[in-house]
Amino acid sequence: MSSSTITERGDAGQAPGGVWARSADAFDRWIAGDPSALDDLVRVMTPVLWHVVRAYRLDAELAEDVIQSTWLAFVRRSSTILDTAAVGGWLTMTARREAWRVAKGAGRATPTDEEELAPHLPRQRSAETDAVEADRRRRLWGAVDGLPERCRRLLRVVAFENRPDYASLASELGMPIGSIGPTRGRCLAKLRVALIEAGEL
Amino acid sequence: MTEMSREQLLAVVRSVYAESDPVPEGLVERMQATAHDAADDLGMSLELELMTLLEQSTELVGTRSEATTRSVYTLRFVHGQVDLLLRVAPEGERSRIDGWVVPPEPITVRVLHDDGTVLAALVSDTGRFDIPDVPLGLVRLRLEPHDDRAPFVTPTFEI
Repeated sequence: MSSSTITERGDAGQAPGGVWARSADAFDRWIAGDPSALDDLVRVMTPVLWHVVRAYRLDAELAEDVIQSTWLAFVRRSSTILDTAAVGGWLTMTARREAWRVAKGAGRATPTDEEELAPHLPRQRSAETDAVEADRRRRLWGAVDGLPERCRRLLRVVAFENRPDYASLASELGMPIGSIGPTRGRCLAKLRVALIEAGEL
Repeated sequence: MTEMSREQLLAVVRSVYAESDPVPEGLVERMQATAHDAADDLGMSLELELMTLLEQSTELVGTRSEATTRSVYTLRFVHGQVDLLLRVAPEGERSRIDGWVVPPEPITVRVLHDDGTVLAALVSDTGRFDIPDVPLGLVRLRLEPHDDRAPFVTPTFEI
């Protein structure tokens, strides 16, 4: 496994706040004339886009298409993003809209990736991986995987986005707008219970 | 039993997905190439073209460094068909920029401050824009037309 892969995962695993500040900073530097800042912005935000888009049950190839469309749209329409601090939200919203459109177009014919995820776990990061740590990760994953599908998708988007707007999320996930907040609360409560049962709390 | 906060729970979700469905190998590099190619196509990767300073008001000379007596001054730049008139006025410890673009067209105007600050405004239907609260220092204005033309910038000036 290359070190770059580990770095990408590290970025994706960060709390969104740091990611958002770094993406705004990179956008500012790019506008001010630093071409390498575009690389930084793509490096910071692509892992976030991956996780948000994959919550729409797109296979890897379609997900990559959506992310590519998002970056193309960004470069072409960056002049419409007046508030550079909002660039992360602009990117994730654009990616979600496109993911939703593609997922709808693909219809139910697209196999969900839910089943595909299981065999990947637990992944061995290195030969020295501690068995205790591997066991802990397996139990964390079991807690998340045991949630209802709606919870998994909603929590994945919420976890990687800063402040997803509920209106578009609601229509995309097929829920009433007013139910997103309460559903998120219930899903988090279920996850908390599952973690307690798994002995992680 | 410790109550796990919402943030901690979401951190668990992030770590689980970062591990169970990791970003594919090479995706970041492919997206960097995509973004760069798109920027190249739009002429955004090259050194941006510079607007030409046509006129500046005489008040600029001699008074700009005296904070208490800073005066209003005007600058006029041109690039292709775009004529840009700026009025820079003191506003407390900062400055306010009022601008006119002739002929009016949808353009995003960004103030690129020497200290890294980026501020922006949109040119209105009548060609006007204003950017209040600009910190004193060296600035450039970057004009981003909303069609396929590449952005262009003014030379650096002091406010």
